[in-house]
Amino acid sequence: MSDLFAAVLTRLSRVPGVRGAMIVDISAGVPVVAEVSEGVPSDSIAALAASLYNRTARAAESVAFGHLDTLQLEADAGHVVIADAGETAVVAVADRSAQLGLVRLEVHRAAEALK
Amino acid sequence: MTAPAAADLQRWSTEVARDPSSPAFVPLARALRRQGRRDAALRLCLRGLEYNPSHVEAHLLLGLLYLDGGDRERACDEWGIALHLEPDNFDAHRGMGFVYLERGDYPLALRHLERAVAVRPTDAAVREALAFLRERMPAPPPAAVRPSAPTSARPGAAPFPPPAIRRDGVAGPAAPAVRPAPAPAAPAPHMAVPSDPGKLFEPMLDDAPFIGALIIDMQGLVVAGTTRAGSGVEALGAVLAAAIDEAVRTARHLELGSWRSILLEAAQAVVHMSPLTDEMALLMAVRREAPTGWVLRSAARAQGLAKTFLGGDA
Repeated sequence: MSDLFAAVLTRLSRVPGVRGAMIVDISAGVPVVAEVSEGVPSDSIAALAASLYNRTARAAESVAFGHLDTLQLEADAGHVVIADAGETAVVAVADRSAQLGLVRLEVHRAAEALK
Repeated sequence: MTAPAAADLQRWSTEVARDPSSPAFVPLARALRRQGRRDAALRLCLRGLEYNPSHVEAHLLLGLLYLDGGDRERACDEWGIALHLEPDNFDAHRGMGFVYLERGDYPLALRHLERAVAVRPTDAAVREALAFLRERMPAPPPAAVRPSAPTSARPGAAPFPPPAIRRDGVAGPAAPAVRPAPAPAAPAPHMAVPSDPGKLFEPMLDDAPFIGALIIDMQGLVVAGTTRAGSGVEALGAVLAAAIDEAVRTARHLELGSWRSILLEAAQAVVHMSPLTDEMALLMAVRREAPTGWVLRSAARAQGLAKTFLGGDA
């Protein structure tokens, strides 16, 4: 299983502009595996991403929109993309310059591979 | 309160089994809770709300069931939805007031308990809690109270005008006194902006995937919006306002700067949120089958309408 995690993250982290990629235990809010650039705080990202994902997932379910697959946060200096992968989630943090469509594609591929 | 008769339980069970959309799920779930069958009550409530997303009593009960399980956050989510649907609901204000009191968040506790006591002045527990809070909280100086702030403590008064939601051809409530669009900032020719806040996004209903759009404040209260009937989107603001707070915190912590948008892709719908001002955000929902590019273009269009409506100063 850890080989699969590592392969998935390596592919994702090679996308130009991706500063960090990780697999997060969504209920505990902790990273399972992470590949991040120096100075990128993987523990904080995991905790914040899980919290954001859990809250929005509950909101979506409470209005009968169904299970949340993907959450994408766009900010002035970059993006955070989170995709459901069962008990875990795939999280990518990318620079503003990253090609967002490509990041999303690889995040979804990674999530599918882990399901 | 007396326990329901066995015949009532049987009747409600039969009704719900025959028709899952029957509102009988509420008294049945309440009876199950009273019998200590929390999980069964919870499942029943969740399923019933899929068919009746605007059932205030069901949201209140679901909040209690979450509270029974120790999940105060979800309980508050449900009571927040109930308050969105019924801003002066005593039980929701009371429940949230006590949860915030327990957390030590005295300003929010005070706000909800003051609203609760305004609706039902005789509730001894609420009065006692308010006395406790007032002993510990200094009264704010009058000048510090902004007249339109959502923290207004006027008894029984909604902090904002009632939601002005138009449901697919059905006239909404009377137009509230939301700031009209003074000197619109030259909208594009295709952006004729209705002055009725309930019809603001009505032109977008022509697009089949469009479910609805709302301007919400950071408390999740609707300032203006248009949704398709029965979509449940009105309630989304109440529960997603807190998600915006988390998104802002996440972006700041990761040194990504200010948030520009949040895109949620769920099984049935895609929700796009974006800031309009420091205190307001736009929330738009479309059907899941809509391509992402179309979602983003529609969000830009909705933003244009919203900003023009707000006076072009967003």
